[in-house]
Order: sequence, then structure tokens, then C-alpha cells
Amino acid sequence: MKRWLLPSLLLLEVIAFTAISGPRFDSLGTFIAYFQNYFRDLIAQSAPVLVLAFGMTLVIATAGIDLSVGSLVAVTACSMASFASGSGFWWTAVPAGLGVAALLGLCNGLLIARLDVPPIIATLGTMILFRGLCFALMGDLEKSPFLDVPGYEWFGQFTGAFILVAGIYIFGGLYVSHSRWWREILMLGGNRVAARYAAIPVTRRLCEVYFVMGFLAFVSSLCFTARNSSVSASSLTGLELHVIVAVVLGGTSVQGGRASIGGTFFGVLIIAVMEEGLRSATAWGDRHLPFKISHLEYLLLGALLVAGVWFRNSANTQRNSA
Amino acid sequence: MKSRLSRFLLRRLLLLFVGNLILLLLIRCWIKEGGSFRDVLARSGPDVAPVILAGLGMTGIIFTGAIDLSIASIVVLAGTVFGILVQRGCPPLVCDLACVATAWAFVSLNGWLVRRLRLPAIIITLAGLAFYRGLALILADVAIPNFAGYLAVQDEQFHAPGKMYAAWILLIVLATALLWERFAKTPRCWLALGNSAEACHLLGLRPERILQSAFLVGGIFLGVSALIYVTRVQAIEPARMALGFELQVIGAVVLGGTNIFGGEGCFVGTVLGAFFLYFVAELLIYAGVSPYFQEVIVGFILVVVIGLDCASHRPAKLLAELA
Repeated sequence: MKRWLLPSLLLLEVIAFTAISGPRFDSLGTFIAYFQNYFRDLIAQSAPVLVLAFGMTLVIATAGIDLSVGSLVAVTACSMASFASGSGFWWTAVPAGLGVAALLGLCNGLLIARLDVPPIIATLGTMILFRGLCFALMGDLEKSPFLDVPGYEWFGQFTGAFILVAGIYIFGGLYVSHSRWWREILMLGGNRVAARYAAIPVTRRLCEVYFVMGFLAFVSSLCFTARNSSVSASSLTGLELHVIVAVVLGGTSVQGGRASIGGTFFGVLIIAVMEEGLRSATAWGDRHLPFKISHLEYLLLGALLVAGVWFRNSANTQRNSA
Repeated sequence: MKSRLSRFLLRRLLLLFVGNLILLLLIRCWIKEGGSFRDVLARSGPDVAPVILAGLGMTGIIFTGAIDLSIASIVVLAGTVFGILVQRGCPPLVCDLACVATAWAFVSLNGWLVRRLRLPAIIITLAGLAFYRGLALILADVAIPNFAGYLAVQDEQFHAPGKMYAAWILLIVLATALLWERFAKTPRCWLALGNSAEACHLLGLRPERILQSAFLVGGIFLGVSALIYVTRVQAIEPARMALGFELQVIGAVVLGGTNIFGGEGCFVGTVLGAFFLYFVAELLIYAGVSPYFQEVIVGFILVVVIGLDCASHRPAKLLAELA
């Protein structure tokens, strides 16, 4: 039953929100067309978070956490935005963005693995540091060189986003479920001392995980900038909360050692459907509720997180005691 | 009696103390004409009071190995209750008490949930971070017709705790807290729980109760902190107020030498840590650094100080693993 929990929750959400704010389906054609569009928008809209959540699953599996992802994506986008637009953008700004993201990701990894700073503290510090870099790069400006780059909008459309997300989740997921690397990550998350005794290069693996996170932050910033087409220093604040909630909701244990990539995928979609549903239900909310319905997002996000983790925990306890 | 402060903690306290003195000296040197050093000193107490007070509560919670990420949202919720009561024409004392009580109640609720649901505190309070801010927004929407996004508090008598008495409140609470930490049993129980829940259990202590007590006491500190925070601003904006406040507080606690996984730390460290971060920010203003670069520098200092410190622990930690 646990396996079906997240998909059925997602389905329930879609049905509930469609009933509130969806159109009237008078034929099968409108029904299919509506959900086709809905699905395309959903993937394109949530691609940045989906990409990041994959990396966050790896990070949390090592018993770490990365609070700096929002700032990392923002600083990558800001550094790309400081280049001139045009076709030269592809071989100046994009490699520079990749370099910045990978370097800063590695910087997180070195802090955590080499200097032994607890992950939550290290990334708390780098979260402030990276956000500061955004302000140092951009000031109060909002820049949008992305519009005039030929072919760049592909990342923001359904096809581009779908290919990227599917590539990461299918190939990444397959690699992960069949590789020794992944088992080593899980082991060092479960018990770091034991992992050291088992001759797993703990420092190196940790660095690799945060490096991958940096790379994914770069991919995510491509999707984000292509869709939103402009970026400012305060973009994407609070993104880390969404990513972490999605991953934890998907069944990855914050104590490390247990992770589920499929769960993460559904976790992100559940949150995305909820956000989108609340946004489209504004008119309904104004008629029926004494407050703005968009405020419910915070409440649902919190309640969903606690309920999801609690349900999973109690199911595990029952299984263990049986 | 042997001091329960380890060598590491004493070294950190010394470092912060000297650091604070150097920062003050630099501020003294760079102060522009027309600015007075005594003003800077006099202002520092009230300015840093909310962070210190919330930090004391957080320190206690972190002693036990838990954490509370939702304090900023709780401050907002307490502020919203305060603002609503002000708009409804309640007397200042009632508003103040309601503000403190709200903050205390929700921190305690966090503790109760952590205990009842047996989930990690970081999950519960991460959920609380979103939940309580939403609750504040909905509360404001429901209680104030045509809510415009902020609750204005114009009357000066409502600002008394934050603008007139902040330094005194800080001094009294701080003195009580430090004496209590020195002589009472409860903070030691928190540290014990942070070291080993199992050992606590074997000694006949009750880990769940100790955890709950940390949140109960932390709630009182946060209540006072919220009162000062809220009464220092002219308009309470539930959507934007206190964003990132929890980071400032956790930053101060960690800089003060408290182990983020619990079991080690002291209140004085948090106080010195909060002052250190505040003086760094002040110094950057006086040194004429562009406001856009200030955040980078503060973040960089935080990362470097903590990084170097952790690195100096690493050999000992690796050796301990072998034992």
C-alpha cells in the first residue's frame, strides 16, 4: 500500500482541483486536451525543482542537507545574466554558469567532507554567502539577456524540460539503482564510521555528491531562466524549502541511509499540483473563503510534510515489529 | 567543581571575546564625524536583543540535539496577534502579553509534536516554518476586513517594550538565564540528553520530558524576543517580516560554540556570537562597504570561522572513531 500512497495522493489532488476550477468536460476530446495541456505545463513549470530534487535526494541519502540550493541556482543564473546576449551567449555565459555552479557545489563538498563542517551549518553559511554574491553581481537590477539567445527558450518549453527531466530521472535512476556508487552513498549515510572501515572513500564520495548537486543546479538554472526569462538577485528565495519538503515527502530519510528517487519525483509533482491548483482556484476561493486561498499553500505544505513522514514512519514501525 | 566548559568551548569564547573587542576598536577608528561611539554602544543592546533572546532559547533546544527552524514564523504569528489586538483597541499590556503567550504556545506545540509524533525536530519545525506563516496570513485576512498586507502600529505607547525598555529587558533576562544555567539542573539534563538519550533513560531521567522542557523554556525566551522584535517596527507585514531571522539566530548559536548535534555548548557563547555578527555588520557600514557586498562578507566570515574551527577538530574526531 505504501508504494501506491504518493501516486494516489497525486491523483486525488488533481481530481479535487479540477473539480474546483477545471472546465466543464462535455466530450472526451476536451477532457484529453485539457489534461494534455495540464501535464505539459506541469512538467515545464516544475522542471527546475524536479532537477534539484534528484540531487537533493543524493545529498539527503548521505545524511546531509543542502540549504544553499536556492541561492546556488540564483547565483548561477545571475552570473549567466551578466554576459551579453546573442548567439555568443552559448559559448561564453553557459560554460561560465556551469563552471560557477560546479565550483560552488564543490566548495560545499569540500567544506563538508574535508573540513568536517556539519552539512546544515556549512550550507547555511554558503546559502548566505551565495545570496550575497547574487547581490554583489546584480545589485538591484533585473536582467533578461535570455530572451534574445537563439534556441535558449527550448529549455523552458515542454520538450526541452521533459527530455532533461526524463534523462536525469530515467538514466540517473537506472544508474543509481544498479551501481556500487549508490550503495556506497547509502552506506556512508547510514553509518559513516562503518563506511570508513569498509574502505569506502568517504571524503571523495561526499565531494562527488555535492559536485553533482552543483551540476544539477546549473541545469535547473537553465530551465528556470529559459522559462522566466529574467533574473534578479532575490530570485528563488525559499526554493530550498520546496525541494527539501518534496524529497522528504517522497520517503527519503533525513537521518540518511534510505532514499527513494521515484518517491522524490512524485513528491515534487504533488507540491507542484497543489501550488498550481491553488493558483487557479483563486476565483472560487474569493467567493467561498474569508481569506486569500493562496495562503493555504503554506498550511498545506507544512501539513503534507508532517503527515507524509509520520505515515511512512508508522508504516515502517509496524513492519519492523511484525 | 570542574568546569563543564571544555577546552574547545573556552577557546571559542576567548576567540569571540577578542574578536568583539577588535571589531569595536575598528568601529571606533572608522567612525565618521558626527557619529558618536557611545551611541553605537548604546544602540547595540536593543538592536541585538531579539537575536540574543531567541538565541538563548534556541541554544537550550540545540543542547538536547533538537532544533527549531520555525522561530521566524512564530515571531510573525505573535506579531500578527499583537497587531490585530492593537487594531481592535486593546490596552498595550494585553497586546504584549498576548504576543509573548502566542510565541510561547507555538514553540511548546512544536515540542509536544516532536514528542508525540516521534519525528525528528527538523522535520516538524521545517513544516512549522511554512505552516505558521500561512496561519499568520490567514489570521490577518480573517480578523481584519480588507487586509492590505500590513498592520500599522502608530501609537507610541505600543512601542515601549522595543524602543524604551529593550536594553533593560535584555539585561534582566540575560542575568537570570546565565545564573539559572550555572546553578540549575535542567540545562545539564538538556546537555545530557544531547549526549545520549539512552544513558539518560538508564539513569532514570525521562528523555521525552527533558526534550519537552527545552521547548517550554525556549518558548519563554522566544516570547520575549518576539515582543521586542514586534514593538520595534511601525508596520507588521505577515508575508515579509522576520525573513531569515532563524538563520541569524542559528548562526549566532553555532558561532558561539554550541554543537549543532547537541550535548555541548553554553549561553555566553551565543551572546558573544550574536554581538560578533552584529558588530561585523556595523563595521561594514562604517567602513563604507557597498551594501551589496555586505552579505557576501558576513557569509564569508561565517563560513571561514566555522570551517577553520571544524577543521581543527577533525584529527581528534577521526582518532576517536578508531578507539
